[in-house]
Amino acid sequence: MKILVVTEQREGKFNKVSFEILAASQQIAEQTKSSVTGVVVGKGVAALADELAGYQLDEILLVEHDLLDTYTPDGFTLALKQIVESTQPDLVLFPHTYQVRDFAPALAASLGKGMIGDCTSYREAGGKLIFVRQMFQGRTVADVVFAGEAPWIASFQASAFRADLAKKHATGKAPVKTVRVDLKPEQIRTTPLELFREAKQAVDLTQAPILISVGRGIKAPENIPLAEKLAHAMGGELCASRPICDEGWLPMDRQIGSSGQTVAPKLYFALGISGAIQHVVGMKGSRTIAAINKDQNAPIFEIADYGVVGDLFEIVPALVEELEKPH
Amino acid sequence: MAIEREQLEADVLIIGAGPGGLSCALHLANLIEAHNAAKKSPALSAENIYVLEKGRELGAHQLSGAIMDPRGLRELVPDFESSAPLDAQVTDDAAYFFTESSSYKLPITPPPLQNHGNYIVSLNKLVKWLGGLVEAKGVNLFTQFAGRELLYEKRGSAEIVAGVLTEDKGVDKNGKQKDNFTPGYELRAKVTVLAEGSRGSLTKELVNRLHLDGMNPQVYGIGIKELWDVQPGKMKSGFTAHTLGWPLAADYYGGGWVYGMQNSRVSLGMVVSLEYADPLFDPHAAFQKYKTHPYVKNILEGGKLVRYGAKSLPYGGWYSMPCNYVDGALILGDSASFLNSQRLKGIHTAIKSGMLAAETIYESLCAGDASAQKLSAYKRKIDKSWLREELWPVRNFHQAFHGGLWKGLFLSGLQFVSGGRGLVDPMHTKAGYLDYEKLNRPDVLVDQSTRFKGDGKLTFDRLTDVYHSGTRHDEDQPSHLLVLDPSICGDRCVREYGNPCQYFCPAAVYEMVSDKDGTKKLKINATNCVHCKTCDIADPYQIINWVPPEGGGGPNYEGM
Repeated sequence: MKILVVTEQREGKFNKVSFEILAASQQIAEQTKSSVTGVVVGKGVAALADELAGYQLDEILLVEHDLLDTYTPDGFTLALKQIVESTQPDLVLFPHTYQVRDFAPALAASLGKGMIGDCTSYREAGGKLIFVRQMFQGRTVADVVFAGEAPWIASFQASAFRADLAKKHATGKAPVKTVRVDLKPEQIRTTPLELFREAKQAVDLTQAPILISVGRGIKAPENIPLAEKLAHAMGGELCASRPICDEGWLPMDRQIGSSGQTVAPKLYFALGISGAIQHVVGMKGSRTIAAINKDQNAPIFEIADYGVVGDLFEIVPALVEELEKPH
Repeated sequence: MAIEREQLEADVLIIGAGPGGLSCALHLANLIEAHNAAKKSPALSAENIYVLEKGRELGAHQLSGAIMDPRGLRELVPDFESSAPLDAQVTDDAAYFFTESSSYKLPITPPPLQNHGNYIVSLNKLVKWLGGLVEAKGVNLFTQFAGRELLYEKRGSAEIVAGVLTEDKGVDKNGKQKDNFTPGYELRAKVTVLAEGSRGSLTKELVNRLHLDGMNPQVYGIGIKELWDVQPGKMKSGFTAHTLGWPLAADYYGGGWVYGMQNSRVSLGMVVSLEYADPLFDPHAAFQKYKTHPYVKNILEGGKLVRYGAKSLPYGGWYSMPCNYVDGALILGDSASFLNSQRLKGIHTAIKSGMLAAETIYESLCAGDASAQKLSAYKRKIDKSWLREELWPVRNFHQAFHGGLWKGLFLSGLQFVSGGRGLVDPMHTKAGYLDYEKLNRPDVLVDQSTRFKGDGKLTFDRLTDVYHSGTRHDEDQPSHLLVLDPSICGDRCVREYGNPCQYFCPAAVYEMVSDKDGTKKLKINATNCVHCKTCDIADPYQIINWVPPEGGGGPNYEGM
């Protein structure tokens, strides 16, 4: 089998999810005895191709064009369609980013193929790849397989694989091949404007390795700084369950759960969160869950790896003190 | 700053894509098709029929038991049996009286609960299917749009309904316009049809404004339902059980149901009339308790909750019907009190009322006259149809139970043998919220820590159930539950009724909280709302006004 793994970059820097997807392709390749080709798309991104070449890959395709300088759905769809048609891979893998969500379905449709998006894992059974994706707001998971002929197109959710498991090249570097694509300005129907960020300092909670999350147990807005201190001491980001954001104690973009964001950090530290199902679906994928709650029957303890039944106002200051001690 | 709104003009605007609204659209499209085939004038087109539906997709807000009497659908779509998503034909039925630990099967199933020949259906699936037929006729169906306000036009001294304003989209919590702000549309139509279901927000406004109330005020029940996938063999597909008694005391009007569907799926639920004395009664907890009855528990054990939902239903019947025609508008289905509360069925009557509305509208379009006088033909058609034949004999049924179960059974028995007249005809009732008994309790909030929690397997707390309703709203929008005088909540209501909104709401929307200085206030978790309208109905001070949130918000009653 031949796997094409499409990385994502912006302004000369890889999106970290690219390496997660690289790790995923390497794992699949190992199990299915496949070759893996990495793809870098953009303009002036040879350095990135070179960086990627340091990883365990059979080859790198460097796809450069003036019209790929900034992302447009038409440009990327057309370019990748040509790459897929010329290289004829069996499987094309993407990280499930906003950008990929924007153009990958169009790419699949233009090739007359389906796409399995937002997968959380895969497994191999009898030579067939089975992709696993969440349904009904994470309440159930479905096994999905491709029907029909290759190429098959799939994307994996952020945090589904560990970027640090992406293997470096064993002997040196993978060969980088420059590939030409044919694009004309009139094929690009959108004109990208300046990139902008929301005025307020936007946090990307999905990328944070450590999250400190507060719930009703924090009691009052005056107590939020206590959690902030802990977040600072641990190098994590602050987030919350719905009631806290609903009260306006923290901005809405820090809300975790079915009506907020879904996260899967290395550590999720829940302070005074009871663990209603609406919250749990947004964080149950976390690698380690720690919780402090004074109610020993709180459902959060059913999913927590470490739990303390106690008063967060006693425990958190003590934790902060311990963490801030010079070692 | 005045908002510039886009205007659209239609011949007919139907608010609500439920069985009634869609039947009206389909039947009218059929009449127009025949009209054009016969080359009659004026030229009419089904494309000038607009249907608005606030749900994310067709059927998303449809909730019913449901057993459907096929009579209505057979008239609308004669060969429906070949393509409609019917789950199972009722093959066997039973009625039980529950005590806490036992169940007594009634020797014969009371005739109104005999269901041979009827179908168990998912109203969600049925409505999706019906919507497909409507769209195929060229009717314009807009999901994710709600009617927010009625538009009126002055003509002489009369106020004529001229259409609706749809809700503004992209407004933040504080009423400020967001980047994606889109002003609501002004949809104007010759005839506006209110098919909003139980306690429609526009219907409520229209009825109050033009004083359309029937002889009795409308009285409502709340229905709470769960869908389960049970172990194979636990429940026969096509078997329907109705229950009276436990956990409801004899002074509550209500009961439970358990229906066997295909593929080991079970529909179960409970309806309770919103006319009870104890303001701290919790219908959701009562239904959870119901599931622990040995009869029900045995069926559910080892099974899995699939979906949850709640909806109000109009019990009032014939004497609670509002005047259902005005200048420029008609009211149909549950909005117009066409539910048969004795048989607990309203789908077939909603369909029929939709068809009769369509016939009336067709005549009105041909004549170019949508005045109340012209549209009054609707009422005459109803009186000549089987709707009256079916609903008139049960006109006093629900009212008979106001004095409790035993008296009700006796009185309704007399009605049964006297063509509906019974001892008193008409029997008068008052609105259900007047039945609360004042608690006159201390000025502190009732402790909520002992509220029903559930075991997480057979029984659930409200938040877990709400999760299974699939309800979703954009968090950053104004609350769609307008409390006209919030000062009552933290003061009078605490003492007088103990804040019943915390109890009757089956979706944990209402919560009383205390500020640090001890000020008590109402916190509204509007995003939990499942659009059942119970708060609008059951609030003792009638200060909660339910209005549609941004279109697309609300439950997702897939398969319900």
